Amino acid sequence: MAFRELVLEHSHAMFRLAWRLCGDENAADDIVQEAFLKAWRKIGGFRMQSGFRSWLHRITVNTAMDYLRKQSRVSRHETGAPELEHMAAGASQPRHDIQIDVQEQAHAAMMNLSDTERAALMLRHFEGHTIKEIAQILDMSTSACKQAVFRAVKKMRIELAPLVTT
Amino acid sequence: MKHITDDDLTLLYYGEHENPDLAAEVARSPELSQRFETLSAELMRIDELMPPVRKDDYGSEVWRQIESRLTPDYVPAASRWKTWFSNMMQPRFSLAGALSLALVASLAFMLGRQANQPDQLAPATMDTQTVAAIPGLDTGRLLTASVSGHLDQLNLELTRFANESGAASTEAERATDMLVANRLYRKAAADQGKHQLAQFLAELEPLLIELAYEAHKASPQTLNRMQQEVRDTLLFRLRVMNQQLKQPQIST
Repeated sequence: MAFRELVLEHSHAMFRLAWRLCGDENAADDIVQEAFLKAWRKIGGFRMQSGFRSWLHRITVNTAMDYLRKQSRVSRHETGAPELEHMAAGASQPRHDIQIDVQEQAHAAMMNLSDTERAALMLRHFEGHTIKEIAQILDMSTSACKQAVFRAVKKMRIELAPLVTT
Repeated sequence: MKHITDDDLTLLYYGEHENPDLAAEVARSPELSQRFETLSAELMRIDELMPPVRKDDYGSEVWRQIESRLTPDYVPAASRWKTWFSNMMQPRFSLAGALSLALVASLAFMLGRQANQPDQLAPATMDTQTVAAIPGLDTGRLLTASVSGHLDQLNLELTRFANESGAASTEAERATDMLVANRLYRKAAADQGKHQLAQFLAELEPLLIELAYEAHKASPQTLNRMQQEVRDTLLFRLRVMNQQLKQPQIST
C-alpha cells in the first residue's frame, strides 16, 4: 500500500520535527503515530497545491501543539514533565560551568521559547520553510509569523551567545 | 541610509530579506559584517539540537503501530498516492563544500544593484574589495558566473559523496555555510528576474538543510540510497543547469 511507503519515508523526519517541538522523546514517538493517523483521516481534504510536505508538517505541528497544551494543563496540577524540568534547570546553570553541555544548553534555550516561537523557528531553521509557508502551517498572519521568528531568534541568541567560541 | 537591525540580518541569514541592497550594505560595512558573522555563529549553535537517534527501521515500527488503526473510511486512489509519492521523492544528497562567511560576504557584493551598466565580467572568486572597486559592474553576468562557480563546487562535492564508500565525511558546519550562500544566490537570482535559476536553487535548499542537519547521522542504508539518488538524478540536473549558465545567451 502506498500509504505504508509514505510512513516509511517520512517517519524519521517527522520524529525529528516532533522532538524539536516537544522536547520529549516518548512524546515525539506518540506524536508521529498520531499525526500519521490524522493524515490518513484527512487525506481527502489534501490539496495538491499546498505541498504534501507542508501539509504533513502542519498536521505534525498541530499534534505537537495539542500535546504541549495538555502538558501545560497537567503541569498546573502536578509537577512539570521531568524532561522539560531538567532542560529548564539546565538553562539557568551558571555560565562559568566549564562542563557546560552545549547540546543541553541549546535544548534548554529552545524549550524556553513559547510554543509558537519554537515552531516558527524550527520550521524556518531546520525544515527550510519560508516565513510565508510557516504562517500557513501555523495558521497565522505572515507579519505575526515573522515577529515570532524574530522573538525566537533574539531569545536564542541571548542563550547561545556565551557558547560561541570567539 | 535606513538603520539595519538584527531583524534585518536575521532575514538576510535565512534568505528572506526584501531589500536587494541589504547584502551589499552588510558586506561594505565592517561593523555590519561583524554583526552578521556573530549572528550566523550564534544561530549555527541551534544546530546542536540533535534529536535522539531512531533505528533504521523506525518507519516500519511506526507502521506496525498504526496499521491496525487505519480505518478504510477513505482509501485514496493509487494513482494519486503515486503522484504524491513521486513528488516527495526528491533527490537528497550530501556534500562537504567549504564556504566561509568571507565568501558569503563577497557574494553579498554581487547582490548590490548596479544593473544597467556596461558589460564587464568579474570572476566569481574575486574578493570584496576588488569587486567594490569595479566601476560599472554587470551584476547580472557576475551573478551568473558566481552561481556557476557555486554549482561547480557542489558538483565536485556531490560527485565525491556519490562515490564515497563507508560513512560520508560531511562536515555540518561547512554544509551550513553552503546553505547560507545558496540562499543568497537564490535571492539574488530572484531579484534579478532569473526565475528558473532561483527556482533551481530553491529546490536545492531542502537538500542542503538535510545535509547540514541530518545526513551525518544517516545509516549506511540511507546513505546508499542518497548516493544512488545523487548519481541518478541530481548530478545530471546540476550539470545541465551549470551548462546553461556557462552559455550567457541563454536566459535563466
